[in-house]
Amino acid sequence: MSTSDDLAAFYEAVLFIAERPLTGAELAELGRVPRLQAEATLANLAEQLAEDGRGIRLQRLDDAWQLATAPEVGERLATYAARDEPRLTPAALEALAVVAYRQPCTRGEVDRLRGVDSDYVLRSLLHRRLVVEVGRRDTPGRPILYGTTFAFLERFGLTSLDDLPSSPAAADPEIGIDALPPLPAALAPEPVDAG
Amino acid sequence: MPAEPFAIPEATTAPIPVGQAAPPTPGFEVQLEVFSGPLGVLLHLIESRQLDILTVPLADLADGYVAHLATNPVDTRQLSEFVAIAAQLILLKSRSLLPGEVPAAITDGSEEPDEGELRRRLLEYRAVRDLARALGLRDLAAPMQRREPRESDLPSAPVIPLPPAQLAQAMAGLAAIPEPEAPPPEVVAREITLAMQIAVLQAAMAVGGRVVLQQLLAACRSRTELTVTLLATLELVRRRQVRVEQRELFGPIILESTA
Repeated sequence: MSTSDDLAAFYEAVLFIAERPLTGAELAELGRVPRLQAEATLANLAEQLAEDGRGIRLQRLDDAWQLATAPEVGERLATYAARDEPRLTPAALEALAVVAYRQPCTRGEVDRLRGVDSDYVLRSLLHRRLVVEVGRRDTPGRPILYGTTFAFLERFGLTSLDDLPSSPAAADPEIGIDALPPLPAALAPEPVDAG
Repeated sequence: MPAEPFAIPEATTAPIPVGQAAPPTPGFEVQLEVFSGPLGVLLHLIESRQLDILTVPLADLADGYVAHLATNPVDTRQLSEFVAIAAQLILLKSRSLLPGEVPAAITDGSEEPDEGELRRRLLEYRAVRDLARALGLRDLAAPMQRREPRESDLPSAPVIPLPPAQLAQAMAGLAAIPEPEAPPPEVVAREITLAMQIAVLQAAMAVGGRVVLQQLLAACRSRTELTVTLLATLELVRRRQVRVEQRELFGPIILESTA
Protein backbone atom coordinates (compact mmCIF):
# COMPACT_ATOMS: atom_id res chain seq x y z
CA MET A 1 0.00 0.00 0.00
CA SER A 2 1.47 3.31 -1.05
CA THR A 3 1.50 6.30 1.24
CA SER A 4 -1.15 8.11 -0.79
CA ASP A 5 -3.51 5.13 -0.44
CA ASP A 6 -2.64 5.19 3.22
CA LEU A 7 -3.58 8.84 3.47
CA ALA A 8 -6.83 8.29 1.58
CA ALA A 9 -7.76 5.46 3.95
CA PHE A 10 -6.93 7.67 6.92
CA TYR A 11 -9.10 10.49 5.60
CA GLU A 12 -11.95 8.10 4.91
CA ALA A 13 -11.78 6.92 8.52
CA VAL A 14 -11.44 10.40 10.02
CA LEU A 15 -14.40 11.70 8.04
CA PHE A 16 -16.32 8.58 9.05
CA ILE A 17 -16.03 9.44 12.75
CA ALA A 18 -16.02 13.23 12.42
CA GLU A 19 -18.95 14.90 14.13
CA ARG A 20 -18.92 17.78 11.62
CA PRO A 21 -17.56 18.56 8.16
CA LEU A 22 -13.78 19.04 8.27
CA THR A 23 -11.94 21.77 6.40
CA GLY A 24 -9.04 21.20 4.04
CA ALA A 25 -6.67 22.86 6.52
CA GLU A 26 -7.79 20.59 9.36
CA LEU A 27 -7.41 17.50 7.22
CA ALA A 28 -3.95 18.60 6.07
CA GLU A 29 -2.90 19.03 9.68
CA LEU A 30 -4.37 15.68 10.72
CA GLY A 31 -2.61 13.94 7.86
CA ARG A 32 0.61 15.88 8.49
CA VAL A 33 0.89 16.72 4.81
CA PRO A 34 0.85 19.98 2.86
CA ARG A 35 -2.55 21.43 2.13
CA LEU A 36 -2.31 20.79 -1.60
CA GLN A 37 -1.51 17.13 -1.09
CA ALA A 38 -4.41 16.75 1.31
CA GLU A 39 -6.81 18.29 -1.14
CA ALA A 40 -5.55 16.23 -4.05
CA THR A 41 -5.96 13.07 -1.98
CA LEU A 42 -9.49 14.08 -0.97
CA ALA A 43 -10.50 14.90 -4.53
CA ASN A 44 -9.06 11.55 -5.59
CA LEU A 45 -10.96 9.76 -2.84
CA ALA A 46 -14.19 11.47 -3.87
CA GLU A 47 -13.67 10.41 -7.45
CA GLN A 48 -12.82 6.86 -6.45
CA LEU A 49 -15.91 6.46 -4.28
CA ALA A 50 -18.10 7.64 -7.15
CA GLU A 51 -16.34 5.57 -9.81
CA ASP A 52 -16.41 2.35 -7.83
CA GLY A 53 -20.14 2.82 -7.26
CA ARG A 54 -19.70 2.67 -3.50
CA GLY A 55 -22.51 3.27 -1.02
CA ILE A 56 -20.92 6.42 0.29
CA ARG A 57 -19.72 9.62 -1.31
CA LEU A 58 -17.43 12.42 -0.29
CA GLN A 59 -19.29 15.73 -0.32
CA ARG A 60 -17.56 19.08 -0.60
CA LEU A 61 -18.94 22.52 0.18
CA ASP A 62 -16.57 25.46 -0.09
CA ASP A 63 -13.55 24.20 1.78
CA ALA A 64 -15.26 21.56 3.93
CA TRP A 65 -15.63 17.83 3.37
CA GLN A 66 -17.98 15.20 4.74
CA LEU A 67 -19.01 11.64 3.98
CA ALA A 68 -22.60 10.96 3.00
CA THR A 69 -24.62 8.13 1.54
CA ALA A 70 -24.72 7.83 -2.23
CA PRO A 71 -27.73 9.37 -3.96
CA GLU A 72 -28.21 6.09 -5.85
CA VAL A 73 -29.27 4.32 -2.67
CA GLY A 74 -31.22 7.29 -1.28
CA GLU A 75 -34.60 5.99 -2.28
CA ARG A 76 -34.08 2.56 -0.73
CA LEU A 77 -32.51 4.12 2.35
CA ALA A 78 -35.69 6.07 2.95
CA THR A 79 -37.27 2.90 4.31
CA TYR A 80 -34.64 2.81 7.04
CA ALA A 81 -34.22 6.51 7.73
CA ALA A 82 -37.89 7.39 7.47
CA ARG A 83 -37.94 10.85 6.00
CA ASP A 84 -41.39 12.19 5.31
CA GLU A 85 -40.57 15.81 4.78
CA PRO A 86 -42.89 17.72 2.51
CA ARG A 87 -41.55 18.84 -0.86
CA LEU A 88 -40.60 22.50 -1.19
CA THR A 89 -43.16 24.86 -2.68
CA PRO A 90 -42.55 26.48 -6.08
CA ALA A 91 -41.92 29.79 -4.30
CA ALA A 92 -39.35 28.25 -1.95
CA LEU A 93 -37.67 26.49 -4.87
CA GLU A 94 -37.38 29.76 -6.77
CA ALA A 95 -35.76 31.52 -3.85
CA LEU A 96 -33.50 28.53 -3.25
CA ALA A 97 -32.53 28.44 -6.93
CA VAL A 98 -31.50 32.10 -6.84
CA VAL A 99 -29.41 31.56 -3.72
CA ALA A 100 -27.88 28.33 -5.03
CA TYR A 101 -26.87 29.68 -8.42
CA ARG A 102 -25.90 33.22 -7.41
CA GLN A 103 -24.43 32.69 -3.97
CA PRO A 104 -23.46 34.59 -2.03
CA CYS A 105 -26.46 36.81 -2.67
CA THR A 106 -28.73 39.16 -0.77
CA ARG A 107 -32.44 39.04 -0.14
CA GLY A 108 -32.79 42.08 -2.39
CA GLU A 109 -31.47 40.06 -5.32
CA VAL A 110 -33.93 37.26 -4.60
CA ASP A 111 -36.78 39.79 -4.37
CA ARG A 112 -35.79 41.48 -7.60
CA LEU A 113 -35.43 38.31 -9.65
CA ARG A 114 -38.67 36.81 -8.36
CA GLY A 115 -40.59 40.09 -8.56
CA VAL A 116 -42.11 39.54 -5.12
CA ASP A 117 -41.15 39.95 -1.52
CA SER A 118 -39.20 36.86 -0.49
CA ASP A 119 -38.79 37.52 3.21
CA TYR A 120 -41.11 34.71 4.24
CA VAL A 121 -39.77 32.00 1.91
CA LEU A 122 -36.19 32.93 2.70
CA ARG A 123 -36.90 32.63 6.41
CA SER A 124 -38.45 29.21 5.88
CA LEU A 125 -35.31 28.16 3.99
CA LEU A 126 -33.15 29.45 6.84
CA HIS A 127 -35.32 27.56 9.28
CA ARG A 128 -34.86 24.34 7.31
CA ARG A 129 -31.12 25.06 7.27
CA LEU A 130 -31.01 24.87 3.50
CA VAL A 131 -29.46 28.34 3.39
CA VAL A 132 -27.39 30.26 5.93
CA GLU A 133 -25.96 33.70 6.37
CA VAL A 134 -22.43 33.67 5.03
CA GLY A 135 -21.49 37.29 5.65
CA ARG A 136 -22.41 40.81 4.71
CA ARG A 137 -21.87 42.74 1.52
CA ASP A 138 -19.76 45.86 1.77
CA THR A 139 -22.40 48.16 0.34
CA PRO A 140 -24.66 50.68 2.07
CA GLY A 141 -26.82 48.94 4.62
CA ARG A 142 -24.39 46.04 4.71
CA PRO A 143 -27.05 43.55 3.54
CA ILE A 144 -26.81 39.94 4.69
CA LEU A 145 -25.37 37.51 2.17
CA TYR A 146 -26.87 34.05 1.91
CA GLY A 147 -25.40 30.77 0.69
CA THR A 148 -26.45 27.13 0.61
CA THR A 149 -25.50 24.48 3.16
CA PHE A 150 -24.53 20.83 3.40
CA ALA A 151 -28.19 20.14 4.22
CA PHE A 152 -29.00 21.59 0.79
CA LEU A 153 -26.51 19.27 -0.92
CA GLU A 154 -27.82 16.30 1.07
CA ARG A 155 -31.44 17.02 0.31
CA PHE A 156 -30.88 17.36 -3.42
CA GLY A 157 -28.43 14.47 -3.68
CA LEU A 158 -25.50 16.63 -4.78
CA THR A 159 -21.85 15.88 -4.13
CA SER A 160 -20.89 19.52 -4.59
CA LEU A 161 -22.28 22.72 -6.09
CA ASP A 162 -20.65 21.76 -9.38
CA ASP A 163 -23.31 19.03 -9.64
CA LEU A 164 -26.18 21.53 -9.73
CA PRO A 165 -28.37 20.93 -12.77
CA SER A 166 -27.28 23.35 -15.44
CA SER A 167 -29.86 25.61 -16.93
CA PRO A 168 -30.45 25.97 -20.65
CA ALA A 169 -31.72 29.46 -19.93
CA ALA A 170 -28.50 30.45 -18.23
CA ALA A 171 -26.61 29.57 -21.39
CA ASP A 172 -29.07 31.42 -23.62
CA PRO A 173 -27.14 34.29 -25.23
CA GLU A 174 -30.41 36.09 -25.96
CA ILE A 175 -30.85 36.83 -22.33
CA GLY A 176 -27.63 38.75 -22.41
CA ILE A 177 -27.85 39.50 -18.76
CA ASP A 178 -25.88 38.60 -15.73
CA ALA A 179 -28.85 36.57 -14.58
CA LEU A 180 -27.04 33.42 -13.70
CA PRO A 181 -23.28 33.48 -13.72
CA PRO A 182 -21.62 30.11 -14.15
CA LEU A 183 -20.54 28.17 -11.11
CA PRO A 184 -18.59 27.50 -9.02
CA ALA A 185 -20.11 30.30 -7.05
CA ALA A 186 -18.12 29.25 -4.04
CA LEU A 187 -15.04 30.60 -5.77
CA ALA A 188 -16.65 33.79 -7.04
CA PRO A 189 -14.54 36.78 -5.97
CA GLU A 190 -17.40 38.44 -4.15
CA PRO A 191 -16.34 41.03 -1.60
CA VAL A 192 -17.45 39.13 1.44
CA ASP A 193 -16.90 40.52 4.86
CA ALA A 194 -17.29 37.60 7.20
CA GLY A 195 -17.75 39.88 10.22
CA MET B 1 -67.21 34.15 -4.39
CA PRO B 2 -69.13 31.64 -2.31
CA ALA B 3 -71.59 34.19 -0.90
CA GLU B 4 -73.06 35.00 -4.30
CA PRO B 5 -73.01 31.81 -6.33
CA PHE B 6 -75.17 33.30 -9.09
CA ALA B 7 -73.37 36.59 -9.49
CA ILE B 8 -72.06 37.12 -12.97
CA PRO B 9 -68.37 37.80 -12.67
CA GLU B 10 -67.17 40.90 -14.42
CA ALA B 11 -63.55 40.27 -14.96
CA THR B 12 -62.35 43.82 -15.08
CA THR B 13 -64.33 45.27 -12.21
CA ALA B 14 -64.59 42.44 -9.73
CA PRO B 15 -62.57 43.00 -6.57
CA ILE B 16 -59.37 41.07 -6.31
CA PRO B 17 -59.94 38.04 -4.11
CA VAL B 18 -57.47 38.20 -1.31
CA GLY B 19 -56.42 35.38 0.92
CA GLN B 20 -54.09 32.48 1.36
CA ALA B 21 -54.14 29.95 -1.42
CA ALA B 22 -56.67 27.42 -0.22
CA PRO B 23 -55.23 24.07 0.92
CA PRO B 24 -56.27 21.22 -1.33
CA THR B 25 -59.54 19.70 -0.19
CA PRO B 26 -59.08 16.02 0.54
CA GLY B 27 -60.98 13.78 -1.82
CA PHE B 28 -61.53 16.50 -4.38
CA GLU B 29 -58.30 17.85 -5.75
CA VAL B 30 -58.08 20.29 -8.58
CA GLN B 31 -54.64 20.78 -10.03
CA LEU B 32 -54.21 24.49 -10.56
CA GLU B 33 -51.01 26.15 -11.59
CA VAL B 34 -49.78 28.03 -8.55
CA PHE B 35 -48.04 31.28 -9.32
CA SER B 36 -45.58 32.49 -6.79
CA GLY B 37 -45.58 36.06 -8.09
CA PRO B 38 -46.82 38.51 -10.69
CA LEU B 39 -44.02 37.66 -13.11
CA GLY B 40 -45.14 34.04 -13.00
CA VAL B 41 -48.65 35.05 -14.05
CA LEU B 42 -47.35 37.24 -16.86
CA LEU B 43 -45.04 34.51 -18.10
CA HIS B 44 -47.90 32.03 -18.03
CA LEU B 45 -50.05 34.39 -20.14
CA ILE B 46 -47.25 34.69 -22.72
CA GLU B 47 -46.41 31.00 -22.81
CA SER B 48 -50.00 29.75 -22.88
CA ARG B 49 -50.49 31.84 -26.01
CA GLN B 50 -47.19 30.65 -27.43
CA LEU B 51 -45.88 34.18 -27.78
CA ASP B 52 -42.30 35.37 -27.65
CA ILE B 53 -41.21 37.42 -24.66
CA LEU B 54 -38.99 39.52 -26.87
CA THR B 55 -41.65 40.56 -29.39
CA VAL B 56 -45.08 40.37 -27.75
CA PRO B 57 -46.49 43.86 -27.05
CA LEU B 58 -46.81 43.64 -23.28
CA ALA B 59 -49.69 46.14 -23.38
CA ASP B 60 -51.79 43.43 -25.03
CA LEU B 61 -51.46 41.33 -21.89
CA ALA B 62 -53.04 43.91 -19.60
CA ASP B 63 -56.59 42.56 -19.94
CA GLY B 64 -55.56 38.97 -19.46
CA TYR B 65 -53.47 39.84 -16.43
CA VAL B 66 -56.21 41.85 -14.74
CA ALA B 67 -58.74 39.11 -15.51
CA HIS B 68 -56.44 36.56 -13.92
CA LEU B 69 -56.00 38.76 -10.87
CA ALA B 70 -59.77 39.16 -10.56
CA THR B 71 -60.47 35.44 -10.59
CA ASN B 72 -57.58 33.96 -8.62
CA PRO B 73 -56.75 34.38 -4.96
CA VAL B 74 -53.60 36.32 -4.19
CA ASP B 75 -51.50 36.11 -1.08
CA THR B 76 -52.24 39.29 0.88
CA ARG B 77 -48.58 39.89 1.59
CA GLN B 78 -47.83 40.02 -2.10
CA LEU B 79 -50.87 41.95 -3.26
CA SER B 80 -48.97 45.21 -3.81
CA GLU B 81 -46.49 43.56 -6.18
CA PHE B 82 -49.31 42.02 -8.19
CA VAL B 83 -51.09 45.36 -8.40
CA ALA B 84 -47.89 47.20 -9.33
CA ILE B 85 -47.41 45.02 -12.41
CA ALA B 86 -51.07 45.49 -13.29
CA ALA B 87 -50.62 49.26 -13.13
CA GLN B 88 -47.54 49.08 -15.35
CA LEU B 89 -49.40 47.02 -17.95
CA ILE B 90 -52.40 49.31 -17.93
CA LEU B 91 -50.18 52.34 -18.39
CA LEU B 92 -48.39 50.64 -21.29
CA LYS B 93 -51.75 49.83 -22.81
CA SER B 94 -53.11 53.36 -22.41
CA ARG B 95 -49.95 54.71 -23.99
CA SER B 96 -50.34 52.38 -26.96
CA LEU B 97 -53.92 53.61 -27.45
CA LEU B 98 -52.87 57.24 -27.75
CA PRO B 99 -52.93 58.47 -31.33
CA GLY B 100 -49.86 59.98 -32.85
CA GLU B 101 -46.38 59.78 -31.55
CA VAL B 102 -45.73 57.68 -28.52
CA PRO B 103 -44.23 59.84 -25.79
CA ALA B 104 -40.81 58.62 -24.81
CA ALA B 105 -40.55 56.94 -21.46
CA ILE B 106 -39.15 59.09 -18.69
CA THR B 107 -35.71 57.91 -17.79
CA ASP B 108 -35.01 59.86 -14.65
CA GLY B 109 -34.87 56.81 -12.52
CA SER B 110 -38.46 57.13 -11.38
CA GLU B 111 -40.87 54.22 -11.22
CA GLU B 112 -42.06 54.91 -14.76
CA PRO B 113 -42.78 51.53 -16.35
CA ASP B 114 -40.51 50.63 -19.17
CA GLU B 115 -41.44 47.84 -21.54
CA GLY B 116 -37.83 46.83 -22.14
CA GLU B 117 -37.14 46.62 -18.44
CA LEU B 118 -40.22 44.48 -17.89
CA ARG B 119 -39.14 42.14 -20.69
CA ARG B 120 -35.72 41.86 -19.13
CA ARG B 121 -37.25 40.99 -15.78
CA LEU B 122 -39.45 38.38 -17.45
CA LEU B 123 -36.43 36.75 -19.09
CA GLU B 124 -34.56 36.74 -15.81
CA TYR B 125 -37.55 35.34 -14.00
CA ARG B 126 -38.00 32.62 -16.61
CA ALA B 127 -34.43 31.52 -16.02
CA VAL B 128 -35.03 31.40 -12.26
CA ARG B 129 -38.30 29.54 -12.66
CA ASP B 130 -36.76 26.93 -14.95
CA LEU B 131 -33.88 26.42 -12.54
CA ALA B 132 -36.35 26.10 -9.69
CA ARG B 133 -38.24 23.44 -11.66
CA ALA B 134 -35.04 21.54 -12.38
CA LEU B 135 -34.14 21.72 -8.68
CA GLY B 136 -37.66 20.65 -7.74
CA LEU B 137 -37.25 17.43 -9.70
CA ARG B 138 -34.29 16.59 -7.47
CA ASP B 139 -35.98 17.64 -4.23
CA LEU B 140 -35.80 14.62 -1.92
CA ALA B 141 -35.57 12.37 -5.00
CA ALA B 142 -32.29 10.84 -3.86
CA PRO B 143 -31.23 12.48 -0.63
CA MET B 144 -27.76 11.83 0.69
CA GLN B 145 -27.48 11.26 4.39
CA ARG B 146 -24.75 12.03 6.80
CA ARG B 147 -23.79 9.48 9.38
CA GLU B 148 -24.28 10.77 12.89
CA PRO B 149 -21.23 9.91 14.97
CA ARG B 150 -21.74 7.68 17.96
CA GLU B 151 -19.83 7.19 21.14
CA SER B 152 -18.31 3.91 20.01
CA ASP B 153 -16.52 5.72 17.18
CA LEU B 154 -14.23 7.55 19.51
CA PRO B 155 -11.19 5.65 20.59
CA SER B 156 -11.34 5.11 24.35
CA ALA B 157 -8.52 6.27 26.60
CA PRO B 158 -5.92 3.62 27.44
CA VAL B 159 -6.75 1.83 30.68
CA ILE B 160 -4.08 1.96 33.43
CA PRO B 161 -4.67 -0.62 36.17
CA LEU B 162 -5.14 0.96 39.60
CA PRO B 163 -3.99 -0.67 42.86
CA PRO B 164 -7.05 -1.78 44.88
CA ALA B 165 -5.40 -0.28 47.98
CA GLN B 166 -6.43 3.10 46.61
CA LEU B 167 -10.07 2.16 47.07
CA ALA B 168 -9.51 1.20 50.72
CA GLN B 169 -7.61 4.42 51.26
CA ALA B 170 -10.43 6.45 49.78
CA MET B 171 -12.94 4.63 52.01
CA ALA B 172 -10.81 5.34 55.09
CA GLY B 173 -10.71 8.99 54.11
CA LEU B 174 -14.48 9.05 53.87
CA ALA B 175 -14.85 7.43 57.29
CA ALA B 176 -12.70 10.17 58.84
CA ILE B 177 -15.23 12.80 57.82
CA PRO B 178 -17.77 13.28 60.66
CA GLU B 179 -21.42 12.54 59.91
CA PRO B 180 -23.27 15.70 59.00
CA GLU B 181 -25.60 17.00 61.67
CA ALA B 182 -29.29 16.40 61.10
CA PRO B 183 -30.86 19.47 59.54
CA PRO B 184 -33.19 21.53 61.73
CA PRO B 185 -36.83 20.62 61.31
CA GLU B 186 -38.40 22.56 58.53
CA VAL B 187 -41.32 24.81 59.23
CA VAL B 188 -44.08 24.04 56.81
CA ALA B 189 -47.17 26.15 56.49
CA ARG B 190 -50.30 24.26 57.44
CA GLU B 191 -52.14 23.32 54.36
CA ILE B 192 -55.87 23.35 54.18
CA THR B 193 -57.36 21.65 51.19
CA LEU B 194 -60.78 21.71 49.70
CA ALA B 195 -61.15 17.99 50.40
CA MET B 196 -60.33 18.53 54.07
CA GLN B 197 -63.00 21.20 54.47
CA ILE B 198 -65.55 19.15 52.53
CA ALA B 199 -64.91 16.37 55.02
CA VAL B 200 -65.45 18.85 57.89
CA LEU B 201 -68.73 20.01 56.40
CA GLN B 202 -69.94 16.49 55.79
CA ALA B 203 -69.00 15.47 59.31
CA ALA B 204 -70.93 18.45 60.71
CA MET B 205 -74.00 17.61 58.66
CA ALA B 206 -73.81 13.94 59.50
CA VAL B 207 -74.80 14.78 63.07
CA GLY B 208 -78.03 16.69 62.64
CA GLY B 209 -78.49 16.64 58.88
CA ARG B 210 -78.23 20.44 58.82
CA VAL B 211 -75.82 23.03 60.01
CA VAL B 212 -75.52 26.84 60.15
CA LEU B 213 -72.64 28.04 57.99
CA GLN B 214 -71.82 31.05 60.19
CA GLN B 215 -71.21 28.75 63.17
CA LEU B 216 -68.77 26.69 61.15
CA LEU B 217 -66.97 29.77 59.92
CA ALA B 218 -66.74 31.15 63.45
CA ALA B 219 -64.81 28.04 64.43
CA CYS B 220 -62.16 28.66 61.75
CA ARG B 221 -58.73 29.70 62.97
CA SER B 222 -57.32 31.45 59.92
CA ARG B 223 -58.36 33.44 56.91
CA THR B 224 -57.25 30.59 54.65
CA GLU B 225 -59.38 28.15 56.53
CA LEU B 226 -62.36 30.52 56.24
CA THR B 227 -61.90 30.88 52.53
CA VAL B 228 -61.46 27.18 51.87
CA THR B 229 -64.49 26.34 53.99
CA LEU B 230 -66.58 28.75 51.97
CA LEU B 231 -65.22 27.28 48.73
CA ALA B 232 -65.96 23.77 50.04
CA THR B 233 -69.54 24.85 50.66
CA LEU B 234 -69.85 26.16 47.11
CA GLU B 235 -68.30 22.96 45.77
CA LEU B 236 -70.88 20.85 47.62
CA VAL B 237 -73.65 23.09 46.24
CA ARG B 238 -72.27 22.58 42.79
CA ARG B 239 -72.25 18.84 43.31
CA ARG B 240 -75.81 19.13 44.58
CA GLN B 241 -74.85 17.40 47.80
CA VAL B 242 -76.22 20.23 49.96
CA ARG B 243 -79.10 22.60 49.82
CA VAL B 244 -78.48 26.16 51.04
CA GLU B 245 -81.15 28.34 52.55
CA GLN B 246 -81.18 31.85 53.95
CA ARG B 247 -84.52 33.19 55.11
CA GLU B 248 -83.56 36.84 55.61
CA LEU B 249 -80.78 39.21 54.66
CA PHE B 250 -77.67 38.56 56.82
CA GLY B 251 -79.60 35.82 58.55
CA PRO B 252 -78.22 32.35 59.27
CA ILE B 253 -77.23 30.32 56.19
CA ILE B 254 -78.47 26.82 56.67
CA LEU B 255 -76.81 23.92 54.88
CA GLU B 256 -78.83 20.79 54.54
CA SER B 257 -77.55 17.52 53.22
CA THR B 258 -79.46 16.22 50.22
CA ALA B 259 -78.34 12.69 50.84
